Amino acid sequence: MLTLTSPVDTPWHHLPAGAKLAALAGFTLVLFALKSPWALGAALGLVLALHLPGGRRFGLHALKMLRPLWFFVVVVSAWHLWTGEPRTGAVIVLRMIAAVAAANLVTMTTRLSDMLSVIERLMRPLAPLIPPRRLALAFALVIRFIPALGESLARIRDAWAARSPRRAGWRVLVPGVLAALDDADRAAEALRARGGTDGEPPRG
Amino acid sequence: MPPGPSPAPPAIRIDCGPVVLGGREVLAPLRLDLAERRIGIVGRNGSGKTTFLRLLAGLIAPRSGGVSIGGQDPFRDRRAALAQIGILFQNPDHQILFPTVAEELAFGLAQQGLRQKDAMARARATLAAEGRAHWAEAPVSTLSGGQKQYLCLLSLLLMAPSTLLLDEPFSGLDLPTTHRLRRRLAALDQRLILIGHDPPGLEQTDRVIWLEEGRIAADGPPEVVLPEFTREMGRIGEADADTDLAG
Ligand SMILES: Nc1ncnc2c1ncn2[C@@H]1O[C@H](COP(=O)(O)OP(=O)(O)OP(=O)(O)O)[C@@H](O)[C@H]1O
Ligand SMILES: [Mg+2]
Repeated sequence: MLTLTSPVDTPWHHLPAGAKLAALAGFTLVLFALKSPWALGAALGLVLALHLPGGRRFGLHALKMLRPLWFFVVVVSAWHLWTGEPRTGAVIVLRMIAAVAAANLVTMTTRLSDMLSVIERLMRPLAPLIPPRRLALAFALVIRFIPALGESLARIRDAWAARSPRRAGWRVLVPGVLAALDDADRAAEALRARGGTDGEPPRG
Repeated sequence: MPPGPSPAPPAIRIDCGPVVLGGREVLAPLRLDLAERRIGIVGRNGSGKTTFLRLLAGLIAPRSGGVSIGGQDPFRDRRAALAQIGILFQNPDHQILFPTVAEELAFGLAQQGLRQKDAMARARATLAAEGRAHWAEAPVSTLSGGQKQYLCLLSLLLMAPSTLLLDEPFSGLDLPTTHRLRRRLAALDQRLILIGHDPPGLEQTDRVIWLEEGRIAADGPPEVVLPEFTREMGRIGEADADTDLAG
């Protein structure tokens, strides 16, 4: 399973989740207000500096979490160089990296259950429509099982490789989908075994 | 671990029609009362042991009739069932719902009505008492199979239901951990219903139920049922390999 919350302890781990999320929201708003690449560069520098207390391992993990962005960075940069607007390109790229890195930093330093408590609190006005606890649980399960999906694909690929000289490729897809459906059934049962989606209302 | 509050956990009464899964009758109709404190379940692979525990836990329903624990049906009333019955799955990966150890432990407590903050504190205290405080923030994916099983068992003990259903609880544990857990379980006031493939491990029970193809083949004190079971398994083992995988 992918570990969203970093096991490396930083001072940020000890701040309340609500405060971190509010700061993140504020910071992201500011990013969208800034129009100069220099200001955005400084903002990105600030986010990077906030990673320093985590040390090397933490920093490397954070970098790895930025990897999905490279494609956009390449495309956006290439396009704006092509159209002769490097400044606009720099603004978009810097803003994107700073926003994602800041969001990752909050994710890496906040326990899932704390994040969920905040979601539960924010969603309380919607309570008559969607019970907040159920919503929070849904988030938790998505976060737990998306990476589990990747793992089960890897397991199927291993099982294939152990008995075949050829690469599995797309052939893991069907067993993968079936395994995912099985996982869903089992998670539902595990949840049921511990009181279902609602449980007891909190006491005291 | 909090001791079981009541001196005698309420009896489990089963009076039900067949259990059908995927169009197949996996358990025959059953009528039985479980009042003993230590009950062992034996049987061959595929004989229906896990299905029997899932029925008791209220995870599946029979075609007709049902299970009652202290007057409540664990299938219909999940909230009441939480205090009465807890189950340890055969495969810990099927049980774990949360990304970190402490969160996994706290979830069951929160489901029982504890506030999240208090549930986390209890989870941490339990880990510390087990000498495993450093596990709290560990991602569950970094635990070994046996460690995951241990985590699931801890989480069950923390919820302290009056009956614990354990599906081969020692299968993935090393010897020291097995001994410790056996001692710990032996000291519990709660009722234990335990699936095991190893007859000596069930000698200390009050009652052993032997399942064969979804039916009760024998039901009685361990000194009667276990030798008979061992003899029969030895006989089958000599006669053939596992040729009768049910289809
Ligand atoms: N969801 C299901 N759908 C269809 N058949 C099932 C299902 N679950 C179990 N079975 C079948 O029911 C029978 C009993 O299964 P069960 O898991 O209860 O056996 P078991 O005694 O626990 O075996 P083991 O010792 O291998 O764990 C098996 O033949 C199995 O194939
Ligand atoms: Mg089984």
